[in-house]
Amino acid sequence: MPKVEEYSERKSQLAGWAVNIVTYRLGSIYHTTIDNTDPGAWVVKAQGTTKEEAETKATKEAQGLLEKVKKSKPPTGCTSVPGF
Amino acid sequence: MAVQTSPAAATQQEVLVSTDWVVQHLNDSSIRLVEVDVDTKAYSEGHVPNAVGWAWDTQLCDTLRRDIIPKAKFEQLLGQSGISSNTTVILYGDNNNWFAAWALWQLKVYGHQDVRLMNGGRKKWIAEGRELTTTATKITPTTYRASEPDTSIRAFLPEVMKASSERSAKLVDVRSPQEYSGEILAPPGLPETCQRGGHIPGAKSIPWGKACNEDGTFKSAEELKTLYGTAGITGEQPVIAYCRIGERSSHTWFVLKHLLGYKHVKNYDGSWTEWGNLVAAAIEKP
Repeated sequence: MPKVEEYSERKSQLAGWAVNIVTYRLGSIYHTTIDNTDPGAWVVKAQGTTKEEAETKATKEAQGLLEKVKKSKPPTGCTSVPGF
Repeated sequence: MAVQTSPAAATQQEVLVSTDWVVQHLNDSSIRLVEVDVDTKAYSEGHVPNAVGWAWDTQLCDTLRRDIIPKAKFEQLLGQSGISSNTTVILYGDNNNWFAAWALWQLKVYGHQDVRLMNGGRKKWIAEGRELTTTATKITPTTYRASEPDTSIRAFLPEVMKASSERSAKLVDVRSPQEYSGEILAPPGLPETCQRGGHIPGAKSIPWGKACNEDGTFKSAEELKTLYGTAGITGEQPVIAYCRIGERSSHTWFVLKHLLGYKHVKNYDGSWTEWGNLVAAAIEKP
């Protein structure tokens, strides 16, 4: 039964958001997950045959998602929202 | 000399197990390990040996109307998982046990006696370089009988409205500060499932993650008591925790109810996706 190896974890910033990047190897596959550190809700995952490949894939997807996050804008279709 | 144990510490021992404890009990027939993740594919990519996996989005909810899992489906799920009323259920999952806590809350709603979290969850297990398997766990099905739902740990909208307008209970918003302030409508990367941002009037912001250490384990009872006490959450008044859909608040509910031993704590699983979509509901934005 394989054990998790080469575990690494680091904090970073993507599109202005704090993220947590975790990579480990299980067998011959590297697994990377990225979550937004606060609130920690969302996960992007990628796999690769090298650590770099897995992290590059995951980072690219995470960057794309986080760039789309809207801040303090009214929901689509609303024209008058107090406070915005 | 007798060891002095605070009530909170005694409670912790009944609801938390360590990863080492799990290793020692992997083949214990009185234990059932269950993985519940935010990422529903994580289990199939590798799980703790002898664990079964539950999907929060299909197996721990009513898939027709918005509700927790119906009693009959709950009984079926636990029976298929080889769980009896006297089984010790150990839950764990990703994101510091978010959905594991959601599952634990539902097991408590339906009256399961012995259910605990693996402290640190999947993250700690992986970080410690432990074994993961993709081998299917062999299960001997049981016939499970659940209790009627215990609504003393579940808050519905009318009670939350009263808590907000009359301050009859302390409201704890466990989402991120940006969600609480209304700067964003959902956690980055997740769909915006509400029409308005902000928080329920009177709610205190105590993000769920403040209850955790870097390794995913829970902070000590003393640290937790200080964290919530500073915001006026002392256990002397009823508490209602909420988030976006009720799973992060299950985590905080677990902390307040089981790690601190506060008696009157409820999870409002309607949470912001209910309140933030209500026509004419009062909203506070700092």
